[in-house]
Amino acid sequence: MRVVIDYERCTGNGRCYALFPDLFGDDESGYGQVIGDGSIGDDQLDEARSAVVACPEDAVAIEGE
Amino acid sequence: MLGKMTAPTKFQLADAPMSADRTAGFRFVSSFGEVFQAANGTWMLTSAEAVKFAVRHPEVFSSAEATNAGSGIPIPLIPVAVDPPAHRKYRLVLDSMFAPRVVNAMEDDLRTQARDLIAAFANKGECDVVGDLARLYPTQVFLTFFGMPLDDRDQLVGWVETMLDHSTTGTAEAGPEVVEAATGLFGYIQRFIDEKRERPGDDVLSRLLALEGDDAWSDEEMLGCCFLFTVAGLDTVTGAMGFLMRHLALNPELRRQLIADPTLLGPVIEETLRVEPPAPTISRTTTQDVEVCGVRIPAGSPVALCLGTANREPGHWEHPDDVDVAQADRGHMTFGGGIHRCLGSHLARRELRLVVEEFHKLIPEYEVAPGFDPVAVWPAGTLHLTSLPLVFPVGDGGA
Ligand code: HEM
Ligand code: SF4
Repeated sequence: MRVVIDYERCTGNGRCYALFPDLFGDDESGYGQVIGDGSIGDDQLDEARSAVVACPEDAVAIEGE
Repeated sequence: MLGKMTAPTKFQLADAPMSADRTAGFRFVSSFGEVFQAANGTWMLTSAEAVKFAVRHPEVFSSAEATNAGSGIPIPLIPVAVDPPAHRKYRLVLDSMFAPRVVNAMEDDLRTQARDLIAAFANKGECDVVGDLARLYPTQVFLTFFGMPLDDRDQLVGWVETMLDHSTTGTAEAGPEVVEAATGLFGYIQRFIDEKRERPGDDVLSRLLALEGDDAWSDEEMLGCCFLFTVAGLDTVTGAMGFLMRHLALNPELRRQLIADPTLLGPVIEETLRVEPPAPTISRTTTQDVEVCGVRIPAGSPVALCLGTANREPGHWEHPDDVDVAQADRGHMTFGGGIHRCLGSHLARRELRLVVEEFHKLIPEYEVAPGFDPVAVWPAGTLHLTSLPLVFPVGDGGA
């Protein structure tokens, strides 16, 4: 499983990396970035689901759930 | 064939009972439907789905016409009044100047400025949060970012408020005081553009002037952009700060929890931003016929995207009309959405955080002055309180 950010939608609102710093970081323009390749374990699935809801642009998704 | 045709309603935004209670105000707005036409012809989009649809289709919902038409300002407000594809070039440059990392680097300075403003009244036992803090601080932050002297603060506050007061009172011809304010403000900005071109500093203005070749901005672009910051980034923060402090003053239990557990501050800020959005609506003009949530809107129509109602969509939040820290991790629309989403959101959030943190260090216990009822100005382009007098015990603050 991976978390991914759709850059067609991400506008750098920063909710993902503010709330879930284990899963996301920020780039120098304030846009979200997944940490590493975005891979998550079962224990991080709840957080990832919360991140999907937190992003006001619906830019965060979970692949391979 | 595009969705169903509908007739205008009797709805007027000015009729929404917003002053005393935004819950009543926004309910009034949504009660007309998720997409409907107001009496003045403007199409209102009130549901989260409708608002998101519009902000994600900037080629259909144009900002250029909508924004420049209403402002009475002869230069383009960059980047808010720019449509794609040109918009992108401006945001690429500006985003990195207001990113969280930049704000982090400024934090100590901004914190000291907040503390100084609060210290000025901390031993008086009373203050007006709006007049003594929320009107002044955002302007200082602007001056700091743009490399202009803090001594000019009150002058700038005066010009900007005169202009905004005029733009919200409607279509009446600008009086001499408005013309004077606009001339003063433009002249002021131009003076610094000239000055920074000669002697660049380490500030936003100098960095914009340093762009070269095809990327370089004209004087008109510089002026339009600087001017936009004064109308987008000052009274919005003033509004948000007033509502946040009002909520904390009226809810001593929450305030005490917050002082005991600082991690609650982020959620409290997000929730007050959601429930009390300083910019309740944003404007667009349709470039073509379009269907939104099954309703047809013709080309060339003025459209108002109602962020306040989208933020309280039933079903999205357990307590849509209440500030509830348990639901603060759901995205809201207070900063807009899509390509024009607020450039200053990271800075605005930080300003709010620093002010509350420093306020509570010096003044942990406070309440609204007895007998005062803090109401918001309405109708208004920016929802804000005109005054928020607080009283507090002196001497037990201990910095
Ligand atoms: C709580 C305070 C604030 C609120 C509620 C707010 C709200 C908004 C909203 C709703 C928009 C979208 C406008 C549209 O789509 O038509 C916007 C855009 C913008 N805001 Fe803010 N804002 C705030 C603070 C700031 C600050 C502090 C700055 C300055 C650093 C700022 C600068 C801008 C700019 C430059 C834009 C235009 C972005 C673009 O068009 O790409 N705002 N703001
Ligand atoms: S919350 Fe969404 S819009 Fe904001 S930075 Fe993260 S992915 Fe981008």
